Amino acid sequence: MLLPLLVRPSLCGPQASVILTRCVRTLHSQAEHFLRRRLPPRPHGHSRGTKTRGRKSKSQEEEWKSRNKTVLTYIAAAGVGMIGLSYAAVPLYRLYCQASGLGGTAVAGHDADQVETMTPVKERVLKISFNADTHASMQWNFRPQQTEIFVVPGETALAFYRAKNPTDQPIIGISTYNVVPFEAGQYFNKIQCFCFEEQRLNPHEEVDMPVFFYIDPEFDEDPRMARVDTIILSYTFFEAKEGQKLPLPGY
Amino acid sequence: MSNAMNFGTKSFKPRAPDKGAFPLDHFGECKAFKERFMKCLKDNSFDNSKCRLQSKDYLECRMDNQLMAKEPLARLGFKDLMDPPPNQADRDTKP
Repeated sequence: MLLPLLVRPSLCGPQASVILTRCVRTLHSQAEHFLRRRLPPRPHGHSRGTKTRGRKSKSQEEEWKSRNKTVLTYIAAAGVGMIGLSYAAVPLYRLYCQASGLGGTAVAGHDADQVETMTPVKERVLKISFNADTHASMQWNFRPQQTEIFVVPGETALAFYRAKNPTDQPIIGISTYNVVPFEAGQYFNKIQCFCFEEQRLNPHEEVDMPVFFYIDPEFDEDPRMARVDTIILSYTFFEAKEGQKLPLPGY
Repeated sequence: MSNAMNFGTKSFKPRAPDKGAFPLDHFGECKAFKERFMKCLKDNSFDNSKCRLQSKDYLECRMDNQLMAKEPLARLGFKDLMDPPPNQADRDTKP
C-alpha cells in the first residue's frame, strides 16, 4: 500500500508535501506497531528496592559526574588540538607539496645547468601539439606555424608561432601559456619564449615568435606520466595597455 | 581552464622561461633560417630530432643579430651537435 505512494514521482510542490506527510504518518504508525511487539515486558523488579536504588543512584551520579568531567576535558583537549593542527597545517602542507611535487609546485632540482648535462631519452617519443588563442578584444592574427612536433624528453626543441597586426595602430600584446595535461606542465621547461613580456607590433607587421623548450628527462621515470603521449601547449595573447605592469609568475 | 574554482584540484601554474623572452625579430633577419628549419620539419614529418642542426643555426643567427643573449651552445642542449662526429656520422641529417 505504501509502495505506490513512494514510487510516484514528485509532482508540483504542495502535492508532493501532502504525499510526504501521509507517507511519514503511515510509516510512523507501522513503526510504533512493530516496536510495541518487540519490546520485552517491563521487568518485575521495577517497583522493588527503592532504598538501594536511592543509594546506588547517588554514587552513580558522582561516578557519572567525574566521568563527564574527564570526557569534557578530553573533548576540550581535542578541540584545542584541532585548532593547533589547523595552524600548523599551512607550513606542513607546503613542505609536503615540495617533497612530493603535487599541485604543480616546482620540482626540486630544476635548474639551468640541467640543460647542459641532460641526455635525451630516445625511446620515449612525445607529440607536442600547438594551439594559439587571442583574447576577444585582441586584434592580432596569432597562429602556430606547425600543428605538432615530435620530441623526446631531454632534447631541446624549437617551435614557431606567427603573429600579425592587421590594424593601423601599433598594438602591444602580452601572452601567457597553458600546458595540458596539468601534471606534464611541471616537466615542460621553457628556455626562452615570448610570453609574459610586452611585445609590440607595428601596424601591418608580421613576426615569427619562437619557443625554445625541452621536456625534463625525469618525465620518463614518472609513473603518472606513463600513458601520456601528447602534450598540448597553448598560448593566449592579450592586449596590454600602456604602462601596465603585470606580475611575472614565479616562486 | 586554470581559473576554475575547483577546491583541491591541481591547477596549472605557468612558469617564467629560464632565459626570459625572445626579443621580436622585427626586421626578419633570421627568417631564412626559420624557413630552413620549417622546411626540414615538414620533410621529416615534424620530427624534432632530425632538425636540430637547423634549430641550432637559427639560434646562432639570433645570437649574431643581438636577438638573443650569447651563450655557449652546449648550455642550450646542443652538446651532441658540437662534437666532431667520428662515431655519429649517420646521426644528424644534412639540411
